[in-house]
Amino acid sequence: MSVEPMQAVREFIVGRNPQLGELSEELDLIDSRAIDSLAFVEFIFLLEELTGQAIDPEDLDLDDFRTLRTLQLRFFTKEAAW
Amino acid sequence: MVVRGVEPVVLDLGRLENLAESGYYNPYSMFDWPDVIEPDLPWMSESLTTLAGTPMWDELSREQQVALTRFEAINFFSLNIHGIRELMSEVVMRIHERTYAGVSEFLHHFIGEENEHMWFFAQFCLRYGGKLYPAQPALKAGSVDHLSPVARELIVFARILIFEEIVDYYNAHMATDASLPAIAREINRVHHQDESRHVAFGRMIFTNLLGQVAERDAGEVPVIAEYLESYLQYSIATLYNPQAYRDAGIADALGVRRRALAHPVRRAAHDEVLKRTRKFLSRAGVGREVIK
Repeated sequence: MSVEPMQAVREFIVGRNPQLGELSEELDLIDSRAIDSLAFVEFIFLLEELTGQAIDPEDLDLDDFRTLRTLQLRFFTKEAAW
Repeated sequence: MVVRGVEPVVLDLGRLENLAESGYYNPYSMFDWPDVIEPDLPWMSESLTTLAGTPMWDELSREQQVALTRFEAINFFSLNIHGIRELMSEVVMRIHERTYAGVSEFLHHFIGEENEHMWFFAQFCLRYGGKLYPAQPALKAGSVDHLSPVARELIVFARILIFEEIVDYYNAHMATDASLPAIAREINRVHHQDESRHVAFGRMIFTNLLGQVAERDAGEVPVIAEYLESYLQYSIATLYNPQAYRDAGIADALGVRRRALAHPVRRAAHDEVLKRTRKFLSRAGVGREVIK
């Protein structure tokens, strides 16, 4: 996958929620059900493919998945805490 | 747990209860478990593997193909185990509640049989595969919390029904696949036999609860249809386990999974697996065509 990672994340979310249109950085993706329990596994696999790192399902912090900003911080910054 | 806002479910289950009693068997003694399985045999029908019909299957060595059938069989049985764990916990929490008191006799058979299925699936995985695959990561936030109580009850039984119908498609095929080891064929056959009763019950309780939803607020039906279609897609995707690809020695497991899920031959295969369930949902008035 050669797309810029956060662009791929946006495309995944909007692809499943076309009614959202433009995605705000601060939209709560969990409370708004933009990422619900049925989409979550696919989303984890997408993040694993984009980062090249395995995500331990036993060690997930829901807050890392709440907004585009927290996703960027957790998974796509140099300081990302792997 | 108290189920509020749901009328008692009344169903005529006498025939299914009689069949459950007359067909009762001891799972702990009825199977002849071999010490080892013949080394060259697939454990899952090749046509049912997730790469069947794609160039990705043809690119595998014969050893990798056989390994994939084995790890996907372990994945399939593991999915059964985790699905049974979920459905049993839901049903156990409802049995003898006022809403379900009238169907409790059948639910006792259901829980007992599901526990036995879980046992023989786990036996196969642990004896011959040495492991189960773990359950998929789950998001604790509920995706149906916005629905009415009766719609949430419907979703519980709809998930059970859909899971059983998808699994049964695979069981029915593998029950008679002469290329499989006898023990794999037998497990699929026995499960298929019991599940026919569970699917019949599942369709009856689904119809009852959907009727209650529609009577209360017909506007909720398209929302449920959308959830059920998502659940069908989700369930199919669980069969594509990247760890099974890795275990079979396939490189770029996540990329292979993504390409396989989107492949036109696989999409047609998914439609075939889901055909019977989609037809039932459409006839009930909650098929994907009513999604807004």
